[in-house]
Amino acid sequence: MSHDIRNTPVSGPPDGAEPATPPLGAGAAGMERVLRRETRPSRAVVSMIAAVLVSVVCGYALLETGVRAIGQPPWLVDPLTAAERVVALPAGIPPLLLGVTGAVVTMAGLFFFLNAVLPGRRARHLFPDRRAAVVVDDEVIAAALARRARMAANVSPEQVMVVVSRNRVVVNVRPTSGIPLRQDTVLEAVRRELQDMHPVPMPDVQLQVATAGVVGA
Amino acid sequence: MNNTPRVLNRILLGIVGIVLLAIGVLLMLLVSVPAVAAWWHGWAGGVLSFWLDLFARTQFPGRQESWLWLVICLVLVVVLGLMVAWVAQQGKGRTNLLVAEEDPGGVPGNVAIGGGVAEQALRAALADRPDLTGVTVAAYAIRGEPALKIRVEPRQGVAPHTLAAEISALVEALDAVIGRRTPVLIRIGSGARSRFGRAERVH
Repeated sequence: MSHDIRNTPVSGPPDGAEPATPPLGAGAAGMERVLRRETRPSRAVVSMIAAVLVSVVCGYALLETGVRAIGQPPWLVDPLTAAERVVALPAGIPPLLLGVTGAVVTMAGLFFFLNAVLPGRRARHLFPDRRAAVVVDDEVIAAALARRARMAANVSPEQVMVVVSRNRVVVNVRPTSGIPLRQDTVLEAVRRELQDMHPVPMPDVQLQVATAGVVGA
Repeated sequence: MNNTPRVLNRILLGIVGIVLLAIGVLLMLLVSVPAVAAWWHGWAGGVLSFWLDLFARTQFPGRQESWLWLVICLVLVVVLGLMVAWVAQQGKGRTNLLVAEEDPGGVPGNVAIGGGVAEQALRAALADRPDLTGVTVAAYAIRGEPALKIRVEPRQGVAPHTLAAEISALVEALDAVIGRRTPVLIRIGSGARSRFGRAERVH
């Protein structure tokens, strides 16, 4: 079990006003597009894998077809023989091998297809800045918040773990055994740090204090 | 920041995925369902005999070989070329020039400032910072307009907003040097060195 403390809208400047916040990506019209692209995955690596896969298959087919076209003996298998074998398919190959091959090909196809269809978001937040567009990895935000929480809670780095997702920051603290943890202080420190960063979108802060303490930390 | 063709990637990946899915499911059905095997014999046999017929009708005059083989070769070469072109599209968009415009002064000619200027200046300015493990600066063309991407990898626990503000100030100084506001993207990320390296000790 652990205690949950959630914060409702962050105390600080009143919501809706946001006067001091400079626009995201100040600088150019094309920057909006850049920011949109920076926060979504491009699928470049998967595309390259697919392209290489198709190229290898086509390359081999080209080799055999070319050899056939100039009337030379085939390298591994003649295209027509291969086609005949494919037509006769359930026969001529162990059913287990065929089934496993089918399963593997299906998995590969599913992988490519889901990569194409599913929406994706990179674990990044945007920061407002006067001059430049700023994109920050959630990992970096989490590390900074963890340091602040650790200093506020006066515990060692291993006792704090922060998880940052798009709309939520979860601060996990394991207090030192025998030393009470002032939850309000920790929460306030993390909230203030987050307020200073002002990431877009602004996540909620949630503090989870483990009931089991760490001995001798 | 780069000009990777994202929609094209999705479309082509979808096509490759659907084709592989169809082949895989067919193979599994051939093993498990006898009715599918019977249907496959009939259908694929028909397709094969159609092609054999086509090959027989397209022989070179007086020779046994069919010129259809050459056509297939050509098609495969085209597909290979398209695949190479697809790979070449990924991550492109780097540019060498930060500024290239006509000099309005009395001397005829153009003024061009290379991206290396910004890169060297920013790298030199950020080189001595102990809270960074890596800095990369690159110029990209966004719809023909040059823009600068600054990627920094801070050590664990460095406050990203203060880091962003400091780099932003450096960029403003660079603006004054170059004499033009280039769009700038600052990306604060984490790499292997910042992840596994020791945290900054002095706060």
